[in-house]
Amino acid sequence: MKLHKKFAAATAAVVAAALLFTGCGSPAPSSDSGGSGTDAAQVVIDSMFDVKTIDPGREYEPAGQILVKALYDTLVTFADEDTTTIIPDLASFEQNDELTEFTFTLADGRVFSDGNPVTADDVVFSLQRLQGMKGNPSFLLDGVTISKVDDKTVKLTTADPAPALLATLATPSLGIVNSKVVQENGGTTGEDDGAEQFLNTTSAGSGPYVLESLDIASGATLVKNTKYNGPQSPTYDKVIVRKVEPATQKMNVERGDSQIAMDLSGDMVESLAEGVSLESVPSATVVFLLANTDPSVNATTAKPEFVKAVKAAINYEALLEIAGKGAAQATGLVPSVFLGALPASDALKYDPEAAKAAVAAAGAEGAKITLNFPNDIDPTGLNLTTLAERVQSQLAEVGITVDLAPAPFATEVDAYREGKEELGLWYWNPDYMDPANYLAFGPGQTVGLRANWQESANTKIADLVKKGYTTGDPAARKALFEEWGKAMIEESPFIPLLQPGSNVAYQPSVTNVLYNPVWLINVAGLGAA
Amino acid sequence: MPEQIAEPPALSPTGGQGRRSHAALLRYIGKRLVIACILLVGMTIVTFSLTNLVPGDPVAAALGQRAADDPAIVARFRAEYGLDKPLLEQYWAYLVRLSHFDLGTSWQTHNAVAADLAKAVPATMEIALSAIVCAALVGLTFGMWSAYRRGKVTDQVLRLVSLVGISVPTFWMAIVCFYIFYYRLGIAPGSGRLTPGLSPPPHVTGMYTFDALLAGDLRTFVDAAAHLALPTMVLTLYTIGLLTRFSRTSFLEVLDQGYIQAAKAKGLPGRKVFFKYVLRAAAIPILTVVGLAFGSLLSGTVLVESIFGWPGLGSYAYNAASKLDLLAVMGVGLFVGLVYLMINLAVDLAYGFIDPRVRVG
Repeated sequence: MKLHKKFAAATAAVVAAALLFTGCGSPAPSSDSGGSGTDAAQVVIDSMFDVKTIDPGREYEPAGQILVKALYDTLVTFADEDTTTIIPDLASFEQNDELTEFTFTLADGRVFSDGNPVTADDVVFSLQRLQGMKGNPSFLLDGVTISKVDDKTVKLTTADPAPALLATLATPSLGIVNSKVVQENGGTTGEDDGAEQFLNTTSAGSGPYVLESLDIASGATLVKNTKYNGPQSPTYDKVIVRKVEPATQKMNVERGDSQIAMDLSGDMVESLAEGVSLESVPSATVVFLLANTDPSVNATTAKPEFVKAVKAAINYEALLEIAGKGAAQATGLVPSVFLGALPASDALKYDPEAAKAAVAAAGAEGAKITLNFPNDIDPTGLNLTTLAERVQSQLAEVGITVDLAPAPFATEVDAYREGKEELGLWYWNPDYMDPANYLAFGPGQTVGLRANWQESANTKIADLVKKGYTTGDPAARKALFEEWGKAMIEESPFIPLLQPGSNVAYQPSVTNVLYNPVWLINVAGLGAA
Repeated sequence: MPEQIAEPPALSPTGGQGRRSHAALLRYIGKRLVIACILLVGMTIVTFSLTNLVPGDPVAAALGQRAADDPAIVARFRAEYGLDKPLLEQYWAYLVRLSHFDLGTSWQTHNAVAADLAKAVPATMEIALSAIVCAALVGLTFGMWSAYRRGKVTDQVLRLVSLVGISVPTFWMAIVCFYIFYYRLGIAPGSGRLTPGLSPPPHVTGMYTFDALLAGDLRTFVDAAAHLALPTMVLTLYTIGLLTRFSRTSFLEVLDQGYIQAAKAKGLPGRKVFFKYVLRAAAIPILTVVGLAFGSLLSGTVLVESIFGWPGLGSYAYNAASKLDLLAVMGVGLFVGLVYLMINLAVDLAYGFIDPRVRVG
C-alpha cells in the first residue's frame, strides 16, 4: 500500500513534468503575428512552396516565380491590374513590322542591389545564360538571337515573326542578373554554369527586394532592396514566404499568423472566417479531357463520334460544384484572361440526348475505356480524383463505361507524354502571358501529340496554329485565335472542362492583393491598410 | 543501505571473472559491429534496387513539361545525374561516392543530399528526442503502475488510456490538437519551428531549442520550445500508449516469476524487489520497444510534420518520393536504415551489459 502511494506521487510528478515539457501546462502565445493594424514591417505569405531553385535561369515553379519576380526585374512587364498590356520595366522597346526584330533601350540610372548600373552586357549575359544552361525555362527563348548594340541597347531577333516574345520577356525566369557578380561566382552562358548554389543564397538582381535567406524545405525571407530605383514602391520591409499545407494555411490566415494564404481550395474558402478577405478569380489553368485518336490505343476513343458524345455528355455546370469558388467552365482551351478566349456562348453544352445518339453512332455502348489521371496533384486546389469520379458517372448516364486508373503524377506523366492514355484527365498552366501557350493543343503540337493527333489529321487547324504563332496585328490575332478556338471545340480530341478558381485569402491589413496567372502575386505591389 | 550500492558481479571491473567477462563483452561488441557493416552494404543494395524499380521516369518528374520535350535538355539531365549509364555502373558509382560520404545531389532541391539531411534530421531529432523522453517517462510509469494495480480500477483506466493512445491516428490527433490549441484557444503558436521574422539561433546542433540555449538567447528558446510543444505532445500520446501496454505486459511477466514470489515471501522490502529484480528483468524487452519507438519517431512522421509545417525528415522523404528524386530517396532510406541499425546495436550492447547470458551465449 505504501509502495502504491509512493508510485502515485512519483507518477503525478512525472506526468506534471512531462506535460510542462510538452507545453500543455504553459500556454504559448504567438508573438509578432502582426495580425491587424497597419504593420508595414513584414508580411507573411503561406504557400505550398514548391521551390527547387531561385536562380532565375533555372527556376520554373509557381512559388519560385513569386520570389524571382521580387528579386529580379525583367526588360518588360505587366501592370498588376492589367494582364494584357505590356509595359516597360528595365527597358523601353520597339519592334519591326514583321515582328522579327525587337530593340530594347535600357532606362537611365537603374542599378543592381550592389549599386552597379544595369547594362546591355548584363541583359545579353542573362538571356544567353538562360538559353545555354538548358534548364526548365530555356525553351522560352528558343530560336531567339540576342545581341548587344551599345551599352544601353540590346536587340533580339528571330527567324519567324514572334508576336508572343514581348509577353514571354515579362516572365520572371527572364529576369536580368548582375553579370559581374554571377560570373565571379561560377556563372557562364553554357551547361557548365555553376552559379546556382550562389544564387540560392544571395540574389543578384535589380528588383525591389533582395534575398535574406532561403531554405527550400521551409521558406524564404526577402528584405527591401535599399538601392532599388525602379517604378514600383514596395510597402513591406520584409516579406516572408513559408511552406505550409493548405489546411494549415487556412487556420494561419484566419488567426492572423500569416497575412496571405496562396493555396486554399474552392471548398476551403466557402467556410472562410469573417474578417478575412478573398481574391477569387478563375485561374489560367485549363482542366481538360483528352481522347486518344490512335485506334491502336483504343478503337472507340479514336472515333470522332465518340469525342462528340463525351463533349455532349458532360454536365459542365455540375462539375463546377466540386470545383468550388472562383471556378468557371472553360469556354475553350484558351482561358478567359487571354486575348482570343471564347465567349460563354461558344462553350460546349450539356446535351444528353445528342450524347446518346453519338454513342450509338460510335458503337460505343458496352465498350470499356480507361480514364487515366494523376491523383497526387491538385491544380489550384481542385481534387482530380473527385472530378474523375464525376466524369465517370456522367459518362455512364449516356452509356459510356469508364474505368478510373489513378496514379501518382510522376508515374502517370510518362504515359501521358507518350500518348498511351485512352482517356486522360489533365491540366495546362500558362508558361507566359500569351494565348500562344495554348496552341500546344493543336495537331502535331506538344499536347496534341499526347492524343496522337498528328498534323496531317487536321490540316485546317494545323494551318491556324502556324498563323497563331506568327500573326502580330492584335485585331487579326484575336480573330485568328477565336477561329482556332472554335475549330478546336468542334474538331479536336480535347474536351475543355473548367478553369479551377484561384483563391488568395488575406488579412484586410494587406491591400492590392491581385492574382497573376504567371507569377501568382507581386509582393512589391502589396500595400498596407 | 550497502546492498543498493554494491555493483552486480557481472559488471565488476576487477578480478578474473571480470576480465573474462570483458573479453566476452568485447567479442560480443565486435560481432555486432561486423554484422552492422554487412547490414549496411545490404541496405545500399535494397535501397538502390527498390528506387530503381519504381515505374516512371525521374526525368519526367524533374523537368518541366516543355523541357522534357527537348531531347538536348533530357540528355543533359541524364548525363548530369549519371542516369545514362547501365544500372550496375550507377550502383558502383553510388558506392564509390558513398565511401566519401557523398550521397549525391537531390534534383528537387539541387543541394547535396547530405546537406539536405543535415538540415532535416536535427528538426526531426528535436521532436523525436523530446517525444521519446516524455513518452518513456510517462509510459513506463503508467506501465509499472498498471502492472502493480493489476485488475484494479487504476489498471483498467490506464489500459483504456493506452488503448486510446495507440488507436487514435496520429495525423488526426495532430489536426485536432492544432485546431484546438492553436486555432480555437490560441495558446499554442502556429506552424513552423519559429515565429516568422525570428531568425534561427547560430547553428550548432541544428535543434533550435538547444542552439538557442547555447547562444544564451532566451527569447528564441522560449519561441522554439513553444513551437515544439504541440507536435511533441501529439507524438508522445501515441508512444505513451505503446510503452504503457508493452511495459505493463513485461512487468506482469516478471512479477509472475517464481523468484519474485520467493523474494517477496522471504520478506524482502517491496522497493528492493522492484529495483533489484523486477526492473532489471523487465528492462530488456522494454529497452527494445523504446529503441524501436525512437527509431520510428526519428525516421520521420510525414503527416505530423506536414500539418505543423515542420521541415523535417518526413516531409523531405515524402517530397523526394513523390517527385521520384531517387538520390534523395536513397539518402533517406540509408539514413533511416542506419538509425535502426544503430539503435539495434545500442540495444544489443545494452543487453550485453544488462544480461550476462547474452554476451556469453
